[in-house]
Amino acid sequence: MDLAHTRIAGTTVLSPAGRIDHATAEAFKAALAPHVARCAAGQDRLVLDFGAVEYISSAGLRVLMLAAKQAKVQGGILAVAALQPIVREIFEISRFTLVLNVFATLDEALAA
Amino acid sequence: MAWRSSSDGTPLSNAERSHWSERRWLRALRGARGRPLGVGLLVVLLLLLLAPEGWVSLLRPLRLAVFDAYQHQAPRARRSAPALIVAIDDASLRHLGQWPWPRTWLATLVDRVAEGRPAAIALDILMPEPDRLSPGRLPGLITGLAPDAVAGLQRLPSNDAVLAHAIRSHQVVVPMAGLDGEGLGAGGRRAPVRAFGADPLPFLRRFDAALRNLDEIDGAGGGHGLLSVDIERGVVRRVPLMAAVGPSLVPTLAIETLRVAAGVPAFAVRASARGVESVGVGDLVVPTEADGSVWIHYSPHDPSRFVSAADVLAGRVAPHLFERKLVLIGVTAVGLSDHQATPVADRMPGVEIHAQLLEDIFDGSLLSRPRWVGLVEGGLLAAGGLLLILAVPHLSARRSAGLLVALIVVLIALGSLLYLKVGILLDGAAPALSLSVLYTAMLVVTLAEGESQRRALRLEIARQREAAARLAGELEAARRIQLGSLPRAADVFANETRFDLYAFLDPAREVGGDLYDFFPLDADRLFFLIGDVSGKGLPGSLFMTMSKALCKGAALRQDGRVARVLGEAHTELSRDNAEGLFVTVLAGTLNVSTGELEYCNAGHETPYLLPRRERSLRRLDGGGPPLCAVDDFAYAATSLRLAPGDTLCLVTDGVTEAMSASGELYGRSRLASVLSRLGDAVSASHVGEAVRSDVESFAAGAERADDVAILVLRWIGPGATGR
Repeated sequence: MDLAHTRIAGTTVLSPAGRIDHATAEAFKAALAPHVARCAAGQDRLVLDFGAVEYISSAGLRVLMLAAKQAKVQGGILAVAALQPIVREIFEISRFTLVLNVFATLDEALAA
Repeated sequence: MAWRSSSDGTPLSNAERSHWSERRWLRALRGARGRPLGVGLLVVLLLLLLAPEGWVSLLRPLRLAVFDAYQHQAPRARRSAPALIVAIDDASLRHLGQWPWPRTWLATLVDRVAEGRPAAIALDILMPEPDRLSPGRLPGLITGLAPDAVAGLQRLPSNDAVLAHAIRSHQVVVPMAGLDGEGLGAGGRRAPVRAFGADPLPFLRRFDAALRNLDEIDGAGGGHGLLSVDIERGVVRRVPLMAAVGPSLVPTLAIETLRVAAGVPAFAVRASARGVESVGVGDLVVPTEADGSVWIHYSPHDPSRFVSAADVLAGRVAPHLFERKLVLIGVTAVGLSDHQATPVADRMPGVEIHAQLLEDIFDGSLLSRPRWVGLVEGGLLAAGGLLLILAVPHLSARRSAGLLVALIVVLIALGSLLYLKVGILLDGAAPALSLSVLYTAMLVVTLAEGESQRRALRLEIARQREAAARLAGELEAARRIQLGSLPRAADVFANETRFDLYAFLDPAREVGGDLYDFFPLDADRLFFLIGDVSGKGLPGSLFMTMSKALCKGAALRQDGRVARVLGEAHTELSRDNAEGLFVTVLAGTLNVSTGELEYCNAGHETPYLLPRRERSLRRLDGGGPPLCAVDDFAYAATSLRLAPGDTLCLVTDGVTEAMSASGELYGRSRLASVLSRLGDAVSASHVGEAVRSDVESFAAGAERADDVAILVLRWIGPGATGR
C-alpha cells in the first residue's frame, strides 16, 4: 500500500487510500511501521488523513490499535482525521474513538 | 560376484545399490543440465575432426563427398587451353586397326605433331617391352618367308629404334609408373631437382620403384614424368606434383612437360619442417599440399581438348593447331580402358586428367586445403558446440533445432563461399555432423532432465495434496470442536417458556473468530454474550476460544455483573496477547422473571430492541472500546427493563459488513429496516432466520469475507410456571 506523506508544521500527515481490510492490512501495517517508529516524545506528531479511506475492517482497526499503543509507549501523538461516513460509523460502533484521537477534519487535527 | 565393492571386498546390500539414475558419476555428468557431458562429447568430436589423415577416418569419406559435391555443382570454367590431346580413340582404331599399333606409327604421329611446332610433346603411353611388330621379329610371326626376305627384314631398324629416334628428335617427354612393393629400382634418367629449405623426401608420396619404358625409348626421352595419380576411394582428386621413387624425386608428367617446354634444366622444390610448400619450374611456382600433391580443379569433359590420332595421321589436322601447345598423346578408346573416376565425371580418360592439371597450373586455378583450414573447421565446431551446450538447455526444442539448422547453414555457406571465391576446400559437413551429434546428445539429456524434474514435481504435488488433505482433516476436526463448544438453546433450555433464544454462527473459513455464549447464572438469570475477534481463521479461532472461556469464567465469578465481567476478561486476555489481537464483546444478564436487563458493550455492533406496539426499533447505545484495545478502561453497564414479548437482536459485523457481488456493503440501515418489519415476530428463530436469509440473498455470488454470528433473545414473560 502506498502511503503519501507530507509534513506540515511539525506534523507528519499520512494519506492512506482505498479499503483497509484483511487483504491490505499487512501492507498498511508495513507502510505505517517506519512512521510509527518515529512517532515519539519530542518528534513530529503523526496524523492519518483518512479522507480517501473507503472502508476499514477489524484487521485494519487492529493495525491502528497497535500503532496507537506503540506511539503511547514512545510518548508520541497519533491521530486520525477526516473519516468518511462509513469509516466514521465503524469507528463509533467499535468505540475506536476511544482508542485513537479522532478529528473531523485534517485542519482540526493540525490545529489541535 | 558382480556387486562387490573394491574397497573392502564385501558384497553391497540392496540398499547400497542405487538406481542407475541416482549414481553419482552419472549425476555429475548430467549435472548443470548435461553440460559436462556436452563438453566431454565436444572434445571427442574435436579430436575426431582434427585427427591427422589416416589416424581415424570416420569423417574423411564425408569430407571427400563434400569436396566432390562442390566440384560437381560448380565445376571450373575453362579459361585457357594450354594442352591439346592427340587421342588414339575409337575412331582411330576403327580406321587403322587394332591396338597396339606398330611403334613406327607412333613415330609418324610424333613427327606430324612436331611439324606444328608445339611447345612440348608428351607420350601418355608406357612401353616397357619391345614391339613385336618390329621387322626383325616378323619372321617369328610369319611362317614361310623366303630366307632373303628374312635377311632383308633383319637389316631394317626396329620399330622401337624408329620411335626412339622421333622421341629424341623432338625432345618428347616419356612416362613411367610408380610401383609399390616391387624392387625394380628407380634407375634411369630424370630431371634434377633442387631442394630449398627442409628435405622434401620424407613428406612426398612414396613409390618403391618405377615401371619405365624400354631402355631404348626411355633413354631417348627429352623428359621423364610419372603417370601415377592418387586414387582415393575410387576417385582421382589429387596428383602428386612431385613424388619419391626410392631415394629419387620424380615429377609428374604434366609438370615435366612444362619444364621441357620452358627449357628449364631443373625443378625447385621448397619445403619446411611441416612439409612441402611448392614446386617450381623457372618462374612458375605451384603451391602444393604438405605431401607435394595438388587438388585438381576439374572442368567437365570437353571434346575440344581432343584431336583424333587417325585425323593427324591422315593429315586432316592443320599443323598450326599444335603451335605452342603442350601436346599429350594418349589412348582414349573405350576398349583400352585408361579411364578414371573424377568428381565431375564417372569416367574420364587418364590423359584428360593430365591436361586438366596443366590448365589448372596455367590458370592458377588449383584447389587447395591449407593447414589453417583444418584449424578453422575445428574452431567453428568448438564455437558452435559451446553455443549449443549453453543454449540448448535454455531453449525450447523447436528453437534449439532452429539454432542447429542456422549453424549448419552457416557452415555450409562458408564452405561453398570459400570454394567458389578462392578455391579453398573447407569442409562444413564434418563440423555440421558433429554439431548434430552434440545437439542430439544435449537434447536427450535436457529432455531426460525435464522428465525427471516433472517426475519430482508430480511427487511434490502429491505430497502437498496429502499435506493439504491432512491439514483439511485437522481443520475439519477443529471446526467440529469450535462449533461443538457453542451452546445450543434447545439443549440448554429445554422446556423453557419464559424466553426464546436463537443463535447462529457460520465461520467464513473452517474455523473463525466470531463467538456467542449463553448459560443460566441461577434459576432466574440468563447470561449471554456475542463477540468478534479481530482476526479470522486459526489465529482468530484460538483467541475466540480463549475469549469465550475467560468470559464464562469471569461471568460466573462476578455473578453476571457485566461491567465487571468484561473488565476481568479484558485484564485476563490482555495478559498474554502477543499477537495484539482484540475482541469486541457485548455481554448481558437478563432476569427472565422480571425482564431486567443489564448489558455492557465492548466495541461491538450496537444491539437492537425490536419494535413493539407504539415503540419503534431501538438501538441500545453506550459502551467502551473492544477488549484488549485500550489499557485499563473502566467499562460501565447499562440497565433496562424489558416488557414481555420484547426481542433483542445481536449480530457481528459479518452481517452489517457483508458484501454483495457488486461490492456494496449490507450496512446497518438495511439491517434496521429488516428488523423494523419483524416487531410482531412470534419467535426468536423467526427473527434470526429472517435476518440470516436477507443477508445471504444480499451476498449471493460474492466471496464470503467474514464470519457471521446472529443471536436473538426474546423475553416471553415471567411465565406461568413461576419458576
